[in-house]
Amino acid sequence: MIFLKNKTNFMNSMMVRMVAFALAVALLPAASYATIDTIAVDVGISVFKTMPIGVVPFTENKSIDWIEEKPHQIVTRDAELSGRFDVVASDKFNLPLFSKAHAKHYVTGKVTPVGKMLKVECFLYVAQTKDLLLGETYTVEQKDLRRAMHQFFDQVIFRLWGERGVASTKLAYVSKIDGVKQVVISDYDGFHRSQITRDTTISMMPVWMKGNAGLYYVNFKTHRPKLYSKMFGGSEKSVFPQLDQTYSPAVNPKTGELLFSSTVDGKTDLYIGNPATGKAKKFAYLKSNQTSPAWSPYASEVMFTSDRGGGPQIFVMGKDGSDLRRVTFMGRYNERASWSPEGDRIAYTSMDNGHMNIYTCALDGSDIVQLTNNAGNNEHPTWSPDGKLIAFASNRSGSYQIYIMRKDGSNVTRITNSGENTSPTWSFFYDDIKQQKKEGE
Amino acid sequence: MKNIVKLAVVASAAALCLVACAKKEQPKTDPTVENAPIEAAPVQQAAPNADSLAAEQARLEAERLAAERARLEAERARLEALINQIMSEDVYFDFDRSELTEKAKELLAQVGELLIKEERFTITIEGHTDARGTEDYNFTLGAKRAMKVKEFLAAYGIDGKRMESVSYGKEAPKVEGVTEEAYSQNRRANFRVNIKE
Repeated sequence: MIFLKNKTNFMNSMMVRMVAFALAVALLPAASYATIDTIAVDVGISVFKTMPIGVVPFTENKSIDWIEEKPHQIVTRDAELSGRFDVVASDKFNLPLFSKAHAKHYVTGKVTPVGKMLKVECFLYVAQTKDLLLGETYTVEQKDLRRAMHQFFDQVIFRLWGERGVASTKLAYVSKIDGVKQVVISDYDGFHRSQITRDTTISMMPVWMKGNAGLYYVNFKTHRPKLYSKMFGGSEKSVFPQLDQTYSPAVNPKTGELLFSSTVDGKTDLYIGNPATGKAKKFAYLKSNQTSPAWSPYASEVMFTSDRGGGPQIFVMGKDGSDLRRVTFMGRYNERASWSPEGDRIAYTSMDNGHMNIYTCALDGSDIVQLTNNAGNNEHPTWSPDGKLIAFASNRSGSYQIYIMRKDGSNVTRITNSGENTSPTWSFFYDDIKQQKKEGE
Repeated sequence: MKNIVKLAVVASAAALCLVACAKKEQPKTDPTVENAPIEAAPVQQAAPNADSLAAEQARLEAERLAAERARLEAERARLEALINQIMSEDVYFDFDRSELTEKAKELLAQVGELLIKEERFTITIEGHTDARGTEDYNFTLGAKRAMKVKEFLAAYGIDGKRMESVSYGKEAPKVEGVTEEAYSQNRRANFRVNIKE
């Protein structure tokens, strides 16, 4: 029986690999020659190869009264945050500079005021030949320029890497507003923040619905932690009200099902449920308490935290409950695993000497890399959907704020500035349809 | 169920009020009790001299009502004092532990005695953790702490139906701060008391 199961798992993983390989091959012809340089980028966690790219200020056809950042400034920030590029800044096209820095491409454009709007033409060129690789035009109000540039930048990433970028994605997190924790969302770079819950009781633990149509989160309005759902622009609904003390939600990336914790009489178990039908059942029958579930990218396996060793440690098992094994062995407190979208590593939080820090490790718990160190508490890591970045909360500045770093721990950038912000979770890709069209070309 | 919730709110509100009033009122009531018999004696001797029997009866009735009111008032104050006492009896835990300490057991025995005497009391046991660690794990830890308290009281003879447990994880600290002093105050279980009619 066990052998059979293993064989099935093996077959499944073979299938996944073959599909992935087929996809990679299919994408190759669409990508530019530069892709060949970048195909072996992620050979190891500590080797984070980036692609140099030139960025030239957009020409302005009339004088423009800039209230927001200019287009090339937004592109520069997206490039730096993306974990994929090194920006080679230049006032104008400068081939010697670009060549020296190995920037084979550069981005520039043209801005023309049209009434109250701005017509923004964005171009991606090959430096040596000045061949146009990509051109996009957006006509937007100045306040919407940032989002337009994010869209353009995701196109640049797709053209040069053959992969989806995350410049158009969002984060959900918890923000203390007038002393009460509320759920908010913002663009991945911290801009365009909007408040989702407006309760007098604590809201927390937001996660994204499949397709980014809304959020699941926990609220205390019944004096107990309970899961709720809210579609953006819709009203709040109680999810699985039949179960007591529900929290720690994790959305199945394939089916949209919800895996979560429920505590009954002091015992915490994992449950799996379909929010559409409201039906839920116990996911695993274990003696220990289990929380913090996390799906593998293809939703075939589940990681979670169990206290069966006394303190919290991370375990993994198949979606059918088979093949339970322990992942973390170092230290006494390893919690809240988050599976990288590339599938090869997990990020988690570990406590040592009373401080929380973020680590990653391979799926079998080996090859541990500490990403944060000596900077207050760092917790709640969440992967960007392209697997290049990790967002987390840290109180290194005195108050808890949201930060983004590359998956090797470098390039830490703060994206929130005021109040207290915790528990970020990254959305799924936002531009699925558009990118799928591109992929079909 | 709704009634119980309402009652809980009333009881909590009453208890909260008591926190404010109790300390001021108590010292005053004690002297009055001592003085009362001395004052009452001359009045009773004077009574037979009055000519109207009806007036006498009315006076006695009024006295009886006043005594009844005072008795109810005293009973209410007593219950409120008890509720207040139970609500102030926080049980503390060691870091990442849910075992009851000896001190916690002594305290819970007192709470158990009160609950045995006052059968109308039902309680909600809230489990809490300090600010360290993840929200998720701290919910499970708070739940374990509340459960340990519930189990102790059940063993003491309190019907399980009178007790409910809930975890607040690290979301409702008693003391703000990042010192061990604050942490140790927040690793606790506390009680909310409801009165069942």
